[in-house]
Amino acid sequence: MAGSTSRTVQDIFHTMEFGPAGTSSPDTAQAWLDHQDHSLGLFIDGRFVRPSDGRAQVQLELKGGVTCTIVCTAEAELSICTSSSVSAFKSWSALSCSQRAKVLLRLSGALVQHGQCLCELCDLSHAPCSAPSLIRLVQYYSSWAQLRDSLMPQWTPLGVVAVVLSDDCSFYSLMVKVLPALAMGNSVIVIPGRSTAPAALLFAQLFMGVGPPAGVLNVLTGNDITLGARVAQSESINYMSYSGNKQCASVVCRATAGVGVPVSVSVTVGSICPFVIFETADVDSAVDAVIEAAFKKNKEVRWQLFVQDSVVDSVVARLQLRLTSMKCVSVCADADRLQVDAAVQEAQQQGATLLQSCTAPPSGLQYPPTVLCGVAPSSPCVVTPPPGPLLPLMTFRSNAEAVTLGNHSPHGQAASIWTEDLTLALETAKSLSVGVVWVNSHSVSDPCLPLSGHKDSGTCTDGGQQGLYQFLRPSSSSSTPLPRSVPVSMDYTTFGGGAPLPIIPDQSDVSSSPQSFLQFVGGKACKSESGCSVAVRPPGGGGVLAYCPDGGRKDVRNAVEAALKVQPGWMKKSPSARAQTLYALAKGLESKRRDLAVSINSQTGVSMEEAEKEVELSVSRLNEWAAFCHQVQGGGALPLPQSGSALSLPEPLGVIGMLLPDRKPLLSTLTVLGAAVATGNAVVMVPSQSYPLPILTFIQVLQSSDLPAGLVNIITGNKDQLTAALANHSVIKAIWYWGSAQGCQYLQHTCTSPLKTLSLFCQKETEGPEGGLDWTRSEPTFMEELWRKAVQWKSVWIPTA
Amino acid sequence: MVRWRSETGPAAHILIRISKVRVNTQAVLKRAQQIQSMKTPKKQWQAAWLLKAVTCIDLTTLAGDDTPSNVHRLCLKAIQPVRYDLLKSMDMHDKGVTTGAVCVYPSRVADAVKTLKAANSSLPVASVATGFPAGQTPLETRLQEVRMAVDDGATEIDIVINRMLAITGQWEAMYDEICQFREACGDAHMKTILAIGELGTFTNVYKASLVSMMAGSDFIKTSTGKEAVNATYPVAIVMVRAIRDYFLSTGHKVGFKPAGGIRTAKESLVWLTLIKEELGNDWLCPHLFRLGASSLLADIERQVGPHTKKKHNKRESLIYHHLL
Repeated sequence: MAGSTSRTVQDIFHTMEFGPAGTSSPDTAQAWLDHQDHSLGLFIDGRFVRPSDGRAQVQLELKGGVTCTIVCTAEAELSICTSSSVSAFKSWSALSCSQRAKVLLRLSGALVQHGQCLCELCDLSHAPCSAPSLIRLVQYYSSWAQLRDSLMPQWTPLGVVAVVLSDDCSFYSLMVKVLPALAMGNSVIVIPGRSTAPAALLFAQLFMGVGPPAGVLNVLTGNDITLGARVAQSESINYMSYSGNKQCASVVCRATAGVGVPVSVSVTVGSICPFVIFETADVDSAVDAVIEAAFKKNKEVRWQLFVQDSVVDSVVARLQLRLTSMKCVSVCADADRLQVDAAVQEAQQQGATLLQSCTAPPSGLQYPPTVLCGVAPSSPCVVTPPPGPLLPLMTFRSNAEAVTLGNHSPHGQAASIWTEDLTLALETAKSLSVGVVWVNSHSVSDPCLPLSGHKDSGTCTDGGQQGLYQFLRPSSSSSTPLPRSVPVSMDYTTFGGGAPLPIIPDQSDVSSSPQSFLQFVGGKACKSESGCSVAVRPPGGGGVLAYCPDGGRKDVRNAVEAALKVQPGWMKKSPSARAQTLYALAKGLESKRRDLAVSINSQTGVSMEEAEKEVELSVSRLNEWAAFCHQVQGGGALPLPQSGSALSLPEPLGVIGMLLPDRKPLLSTLTVLGAAVATGNAVVMVPSQSYPLPILTFIQVLQSSDLPAGLVNIITGNKDQLTAALANHSVIKAIWYWGSAQGCQYLQHTCTSPLKTLSLFCQKETEGPEGGLDWTRSEPTFMEELWRKAVQWKSVWIPTA
Repeated sequence: MVRWRSETGPAAHILIRISKVRVNTQAVLKRAQQIQSMKTPKKQWQAAWLLKAVTCIDLTTLAGDDTPSNVHRLCLKAIQPVRYDLLKSMDMHDKGVTTGAVCVYPSRVADAVKTLKAANSSLPVASVATGFPAGQTPLETRLQEVRMAVDDGATEIDIVINRMLAITGQWEAMYDEICQFREACGDAHMKTILAIGELGTFTNVYKASLVSMMAGSDFIKTSTGKEAVNATYPVAIVMVRAIRDYFLSTGHKVGFKPAGGIRTAKESLVWLTLIKEELGNDWLCPHLFRLGASSLLADIERQVGPHTKKKHNKRESLIYHHLL
């Protein structure tokens, strides 16, 4: 600054430089921090709580040398907080929709007034957020609060929701979870990261100022992410939603495994996103956009640039021209700088060329924006991008290759594609496995645009109407699927590895030797890879009813391979074609009704009459799904405030692993099978270990059906062993599990890398065939909930002038 | 004066280049908004930038009632656009701060040349020609107009393209026509007016820009100032991108001149920012950037001054607001 004030008009006239950047001082945020004595308490039950026991506090280094401290939550405060949240939930959920909407509207008024302070605070904490976007969020969700009962009449709030963030997460990502949870009538406990703690505390204070029941929004701060796990252990938490980076996501998932709280994850930080420029693009605009996206200061995602061969020269020339006027960007720490240097050096050794505004200063925390040309998808700097202003550039030949390269990374958060060809844009948008596709634009976020991480980018949807359902449950389901439990200490590496149950040959009656069934893999009835079998006991134990194959890891592998081959084709079939196949399957089922009823009868011991009823219900369930598939699409156009077209599309997850319930073995199996297959998924199913016969009989129906071979696979055997095999298969996208609490804990702990969407239903062994979910229900929310579990959402944004 | 040369002849090349042009309207609009929302320079930076803007002005009078007397006043104003004492206070009095040129109708060229010669100034005289502003006169008379303006001493000619050819996509014919103008201009600089308000789409603007440059234009200019839509920032972004495109493929720098509706000092700063951002500092000089304006100078004068006494000066320089 000292040098800049001495610049004369004459100097500037020649250099035509920009003046020094104006720095707006964060006065209001400073004033608020001063008012809090720079030591921020916890926000519990509508007021700040500052512990007086002089325990260690966490020092936050804010911008410009400002500091403040936050408190580490102790057990006592934790329990006060949760009981406050529970009682607040009672009064908050008892309010009418319009009362809650009014509170949120008042909040938006408060944000208009105090938004600047909030944003300055965010800015000080290195997590900038714009006031208009926050106001828009609050207004959007106040309208959902108003409309909940009229548009989603059969749904009810979950209870106390914990929202956990990693240290590097943005304030906007926090609000995208907190506001819908509140709008639906839940009470919320926020466990912010370091960058969001001050703003979250101020936000809670502002919110309390507009008159909701005290305790509806509590904020607990702590030293690290493990506080989230401690909160989850509290009895009264009903659901936990996490946003932030992947490492902390895994920590949270593992730490909460087995406590009986469903946890969903949005990986909003650090995802690798493709930026694709086709030859039909407005190259100038695309280059401007990629520079803006890749080199902005606080970016949450990492971009990779893919350029079609025919325009790569003109893209590189423009990049070079634009880069020359760019200043160096600051890197966070010395360690980061070392990583950047190492990555660049390695890339250069492999033949990459650099586009830079200037050569990098030999050391220090400044680094010029750099484009790495001529790297490959396998280059280390592409696979694990170092934290710095680096943008790898790769080329592709055809449209199909662009999609392959774009889908190469394990992440699936977002993509930006550039072309003036609408057909190409929509085709590419469909084929990229990411949650949001921005056509001829980038980084557009709006609360009505659902963001749903595909692949390793998350297991839930935030934003839009779709994003509300993570905070709701059908009013009709009385019991929670996952009861509270205390995690048991278990060896996750040996789970399911026990010795097979010995088969005791029952030689007493040779004439009635039990039948040997086959499993169903890749469209063929076959034995297990191991060749072994296990015995199926009749109801009440004693004797052997039949033998079924003892499937294992290799059978799962074969099944997934087969499923993966046919699933893309099945997904692309028109809904009506899928519906016809399901109708035909139902017909096939009907023709075998007698055999199936007998198998149910002999397996579960229910009366023939009841068994026949179950088959009947199964047939009509399949018909229902076929009809559903025909008529219900979901999604549609979204009302974004900007001009353009936004689409929200439900897409199948891919291959789903299912460990089926004991109760109503045939009906339950066909209900979940119908949900998954109708939406375009392939399944690998493991029938109930105790009652597999009806499903094994059902294989005959599958064989004569026109479902593509491999779409539905059935493997029998030791449940734990197969659970482990499914959990460790990297291709399986989701697991639906009915089984022991221990199995639930194992899955929650194991399915973190890559992330799998888990639907866990703890079934108590004592329940027998009559406990748990009531599969004979037929109200619409029951079907809708299953349907929502079987799809993931994709948003496509096409801006127009 | 560099023209598009190639073995297969210009036509094939032009058509191939032109067919690949793609412009995404919303992305351009967004970029324009971004540039408009950038912070404009303050204090001495503002003063220096405004003086730069002054040196890039084509001080223009294009009215039916132009006479030798107001052209005379215009020329003297162009030679001394900012008060001497103000310039001196900024140490800029001996840096030759004049406007870029004066711009008049062909019939007034002789008057302007005479005045400037008498004042011993080498300031270029620009003349609009070729049936300005509509361009709807026979080619022969349009060519004749150019030749006569050059004969009278105009060193810069602002021609208008034949919009009919552009709108109907007859790019080869348009190329040929501009080439003939180029020839008629001789040594005079040729600025090609695209009349963007009448071209329909951004894509057409980009194509017309490319064709004009290939045919040898030294400048491309947004509009005549007589259409409904004149110089807008989005359209300027499209044109300067075409200039950048042409520079990248030929190495030849073509100038840019927005004209019509530019009235305030603030606008002139945005224009300079736009050029700096899109084309770089090389283009921030009268050889490659001109602002076509008649009333802009008065507003800049009001704003320029020792930055320390900004408010005081605003009022004072109002007195010096010359009647043009």
